[in-house]
Amino acid sequence: MESKVTTQLGQECLQGLMRVWFDFERQLGRVPIIQRLERGNFTREDYRSLLLHLRQQVIEGARWITRGASSFERDYADVRSEVIGHAKEEHRDYEMLEADFVAAGGALAEIRAGQRNAGSEALHAFMMYRASQPNPVDLIGAMWIIEGLGQKMASDWARRIDEATDGDGRYTCFMRYHGENDDAHLDKLYTLIDRVCRTPEQQQAILRTARVVARLYALQLEEIEHG
Amino acid sequence: MSVYITSSGHYLPGEPVDNEQIEAVLGLVHGKPSRLKRRILQSNGIRQRHYAIDAEHNTLISNDEMAARAGQACLDDSFLSKSRLEMLSVATSQGDLVLPGFGSMVQAELGVAGVELHSSHGICSSSMMALKAAYTGLKAGEHDNALVIASELASRLFKASRYEAVAQEVDFNAEFLRWMLSDGAGALLLESVPRRRSFRIDWIRGFSHADAYPVCMSVGRAVGDARSWQDFATYAEAEAAGALLIRQDVRLLDNIVKLGVDGLLRLIDEGRVETGRIDHVLCHYSSHYFRGKIFDMLTQAGAAIPEEKWYTNLYTRGNTGCASMFIMLDEFRRTQSYQTGDTILCMVPESGRFNNVYMQLTVVEE
Repeated sequence: MESKVTTQLGQECLQGLMRVWFDFERQLGRVPIIQRLERGNFTREDYRSLLLHLRQQVIEGARWITRGASSFERDYADVRSEVIGHAKEEHRDYEMLEADFVAAGGALAEIRAGQRNAGSEALHAFMMYRASQPNPVDLIGAMWIIEGLGQKMASDWARRIDEATDGDGRYTCFMRYHGENDDAHLDKLYTLIDRVCRTPEQQQAILRTARVVARLYALQLEEIEHG
Repeated sequence: MSVYITSSGHYLPGEPVDNEQIEAVLGLVHGKPSRLKRRILQSNGIRQRHYAIDAEHNTLISNDEMAARAGQACLDDSFLSKSRLEMLSVATSQGDLVLPGFGSMVQAELGVAGVELHSSHGICSSSMMALKAAYTGLKAGEHDNALVIASELASRLFKASRYEAVAQEVDFNAEFLRWMLSDGAGALLLESVPRRRSFRIDWIRGFSHADAYPVCMSVGRAVGDARSWQDFATYAEAEAAGALLIRQDVRLLDNIVKLGVDGLLRLIDEGRVETGRIDHVLCHYSSHYFRGKIFDMLTQAGAAIPEEKWYTNLYTRGNTGCASMFIMLDEFRRTQSYQTGDTILCMVPESGRFNNVYMQLTVVEE
C-alpha cells in the first residue's frame, strides 16, 4: 500500500480527516439507535425508522452536491467535472432506499411523506450554504464523511441489520450498494484532496466542514428518537 | 525530573510449546480436536508460547509467583538493593485470588518491605496503567524508584474442562482466545537517575474509548444475558451458562486498528510524536493480522514508520496480555541493537473496551 495523498498539506489534511472520522465513529457509538444495532437489540421497526430519517438527507445530498458543482469557477473546472460525475451517480439513490423501506414492511406513502428532522434540517441548511460559496473546496470534507458512512453501512450496518431482524439482504440493498462503489469514490476523494488542499486556509476549511457535517449527521441520528 | 527504565526482567514458565503441542496441553474439548485452531493460529502468526499448567492441568507456578520471579530477575540485574525499593506497581488481568489485590500477593511473594503499593486492573493495557502510576509517582518526587511488574496466567481459562462445563456448544468468539493467549511475566525498574545505558521515559499517554464502544473482550457475562457471573444463584450455574468463558467479539476488532491509528495521529498533532524521528516501534498487537492493518492505515495517512523499525517477540514468546509489552521491552533491551539518542515508541492498543496507551522512550547514557 502506498500513501494516497502526496503533498505535505494534503497529507496533514488527510490525517486530520481521519481523526475527524474516528471521532465521528465514536459519536455514532453513543447514539441510542446505533447502540441498539451494535448490541443486536434492533427491530425491523427501528430499521424503517432509520430509513425514514435517512431519506431526507439522501435526497438533499444530491442537491447540495449539484449546487456545489455549479459554484466551482473556471480555475476549478476539473474539480467541477469530478463533482458532477459523483452527483450523477448518486442523485437517484433515494429510490433504492424507498424500495428497501417498502420491502421491510413500510408503506411507500409513509416514507414519501417524511419530513426532515431537526438534525437533517441543520445539516441540509449548512450544506446548501457552504455549497453556495464560490469554489467551495471544503465540500471535500463533507464528502469524506458521507462516503465513509456509505462504507460503514455496507461493511457493517447492513449485515447487522439483517442479522438482528432475520433479513436475507432483500431490504438492505441501498446500504449494500453503497459499499460496492464507495472504494472508487474514496480513491477519487484522495486525488481531490491533493488537488484542492493547497493552502493552510483551505485545509482548515475542509477539516471544519468535515467536523460540522459529522456532528450534524450524528444529531440527525439522535433525532430519530424524537419523532 | 526525568524517570528512567534502568533494568528489566521476565519470566516465562516451562519449556516453549509449539503449535502442534498446544492441544495436548490445553486438552481436547469433548475428546475432539478443534476445527478452528489452525485458522486462528495462521492469522495470529504465533509459533511458540509458554504455559504455567501441565497436560494434567496442574498449575505448576501461580501468577503471583511468576510475577515475583520476573521482579526478582529485574532487581538482580539492577544497581538497586531490594531493601531500598520504594514502590511496587503491578498489573494482571486475573490474579490467583479474587481478593485481595494482586499487588499484595506479589509483594509477599517477592518479599519487599514497606513499599507503596499499586495494583492495576484491566487487560493488555493494565501494565501501562501500572507503569504510568509508578512514573507519575517518581515524577512528582514521591519516590526515587519503583518496580513495575505485569503477569498473566491465562491458560487456566483454556483447559478443555472449562468448555465442557458449558451447556451449549462453544462458539467462535469463545474459542478465539484459546489459540491466542498464554502465560508469562515481565518487569521494569524505574529510577530517577540513569544507570549505564537506560531508557528515559519521555511521556506515557492513554486514550480510552469505553463510552463509545461495546465490550469487545470479557469474562463474566454469557451471550445474550446481561447478568454478571455474580448474579447467578451459584457459581456452577454461571459456568454452565458460559458466563465464565473468556470471549472476544471478533467483529469489533477492526476498531482497535482505527483507534490505534487515531491515537497516534492525535499524538502527532500534539507534537509528541514525529514519525520521522522514531527509530524503533514496539507495538503489542495481539496477532500478526493486525500488524498489517495498522501498517496499511498509517501508510495511507502518510504517517508510516518503515517496517524494519518494528520489533516484536510475539511469535516466539506468545501473547501474554498485559505482560507482553514488558517481556518485549526486556528482550529488545537485551538483544537488539540501538544507539544513545534513539527514540522508541511503544503502543498497547487494548481491545477489552478500547483503551490505547502509548509511550515514548529515549536511549540515554549515564
